[in-house]
Amino acid sequence: MRRVCALVPLGDPAIADPFAAVAAAAAVAARGGGQASAILLAREARRGDAALAQAAREGAAEILRAAHPALPEAPQAEHLLAAFAHLLRTEARDGLFILPAGPVGEELAARLALRLDAVPLGRCTDIAWEGRTLLARRPAYGGRAEARLATEATLCLAAMRRPAAAAAPAGGAPAVRAVTLDVALPGDLEPPGVAEPAADAPRRPEGARIVVAGGRGMGGAEGFAQLRELAALLDGAVGASLPAVDAGWAAVAQQVGQSGAFVAPELYLAFGLSGTAQHLAGIGPGTRIVAVNPDPEAEIFRVAELGLVAPWQEVLPRLIGRLRRA
Amino acid sequence: MQVVVLLAGVVDPKWRLDRLALRPGAALVDETGLPRRLGPFDEAALETALKLRDADPAVRATAVLVGGPEDDALLRAVSAFRPHRAFRFGGAATSLWDPRAAVRLLGAAVAAAAERPDLVLMGREFGDGDDGTLPPALAEARGWRFCGLAHAVTLAGDGTVALRRMRGPREEILRLRPPVLASVTNDRGNRLRHPLLKHVMLARRAPVEAIAPPPEAGEGAPALALRGIAAVPPPPRGGGACRLLTGPIETQVEELATLLRRWRAVGEG
Ligand SMILES: Cc1cc2nc3c(=O)[nH]c(=O)nc-3n(C[C@H](O)[C@H](O)[C@H](O)COP(=O)(O)OP(=O)(O)OC[C@H]3O[C@@H](n4cnc5c(N)ncnc54)[C@H](O)[C@@H]3O)c2cc1C
Repeated sequence: MRRVCALVPLGDPAIADPFAAVAAAAAVAARGGGQASAILLAREARRGDAALAQAAREGAAEILRAAHPALPEAPQAEHLLAAFAHLLRTEARDGLFILPAGPVGEELAARLALRLDAVPLGRCTDIAWEGRTLLARRPAYGGRAEARLATEATLCLAAMRRPAAAAAPAGGAPAVRAVTLDVALPGDLEPPGVAEPAADAPRRPEGARIVVAGGRGMGGAEGFAQLRELAALLDGAVGASLPAVDAGWAAVAQQVGQSGAFVAPELYLAFGLSGTAQHLAGIGPGTRIVAVNPDPEAEIFRVAELGLVAPWQEVLPRLIGRLRRA
Repeated sequence: MQVVVLLAGVVDPKWRLDRLALRPGAALVDETGLPRRLGPFDEAALETALKLRDADPAVRATAVLVGGPEDDALLRAVSAFRPHRAFRFGGAATSLWDPRAAVRLLGAAVAAAAERPDLVLMGREFGDGDDGTLPPALAEARGWRFCGLAHAVTLAGDGTVALRRMRGPREEILRLRPPVLASVTNDRGNRLRHPLLKHVMLARRAPVEAIAPPPEAGEGAPALALRGIAAVPPPPRGGGACRLLTGPIETQVEELATLLRRWRAVGEG
């Protein structure tokens, strides 16, 4: 059994669920009969208090609190990379290190691996050992296939999502250590500009209790206007498939799928979506799907709980009218 | 300004993968009989390069398709968009499964396109085997500045590259000094144009340029080996059976409305 350690960058609003890394590391370690550790990285040690409790709850048996006072309020990948690379060089020369899945965690995992001469494993769904060999599984072909990969390397980096079933919390209080870092951070980085959000900027589908999603079958912007209306009535967010984003009916941030947002709402209302593997890969396993599609053979009905075999034009205006009256 | 766009191609997503497996005795996927095309992110990266070329006569755009002879038809399709140069890089056993080996190969591919590249563009996922690891890994290995998931790229007058991307709740605008590597995601603004028919015809007849990687690009045992590959069905959910509503549409919609009202009430209660 090797060391399994979560790397948790704190305070970055672009990382939706940083502690997913701890939960995933705990699950991987538990299956091998061991316990996970975690490295929490923040600007100030103070920020670590609540984080410490959460890391323990998520299953970390050993926690290193690392603070770097020179980290900017909104750190860029280069800053986090420099700090984590230093921590791994000084604190741990081998092991499996897990970052939270998502654009930031995945970029960090890949770049850290190259910087530390380690093996990047990508966004894995499962990691285990067979003797000295690490075996990783991850989706390929847009989520339609699964690749099994093996390495003898002793230092590996992966990104993982929160596992469906949480591991039992580590028994007893975790062992906690704190370090203050002073490693030089890249100082010549211009902070990125932030575009003024449009007044009608859509709500992000991540974190919504209900997602009202549309695909190519919506046929145009008019259908999406109705989806937005329905979402507003339900206090939900609008999601879209890749072709709908390509067509300009929805924004980049609304794309759900293997190559888009990963959402886990209670309900997912799917209009004009055929139900491809690439799209479904972005919907959490516990989410209930309701589908509206005129094609009774559409794949979406294989995964939906409830279905209306009808074009959206017959359903959406009526549904909006009824909910508005209620 | 040297712009290099790296293209990977994917198996046409409309085709079933039931028989996907490793070639006997090799850590390579057998894709026999499966047609290949540009992936949506290859297309977005290519269109981004074409737009930069159109906007600035100082831009020299080179498209590099990474793959073996089975990709020659795809290369012709790329040539039809008339980048300044398009070539195929790689041999019959081109494999990108080991990111460290892949990064050596991709680095050599860029070097074959431009001695001093200013901007390298790739799709956010590079082909069917990558989940977004290769672009940042390549940038890191070469010491290039990196921007992931850019949806719009322009050249600023001061020699920097301006890149827009969504980062969590906000849209960021990065201004990076070359050399820069950007991974590109699909957006309305970078939807691949249609090539002119006459260019398609010309590309069909023209010879393809293929470059074999230098021997050192393939050196060393793989650090990460592909042990197996298999198609997987979407995970079952919702208990398996979908209840399809029947009867007049008004009744069906009322049933859905009732479900949503109840659900909303539970949330509020
Ligand atoms: C590498 C790769 C990554 C990808 N990543 C993603 C991803 O992250 N997310 C994603 O979504 N896609 C992704 N794709 C694209 C994917 O392959 C599909 O093209 C896409 O998911 C299909 O979207 P769709 O369901 O909207 O369209 P379609 O598959 O065209 O389905 C449209 C549906 O609308 C129905 N319809 C028609 N008229 C109506 C009507 N009036 N009312 C209601 N329904 C109607 C049709 O019956 C049909 O079922 C990826 C592809 C590749 C190759």
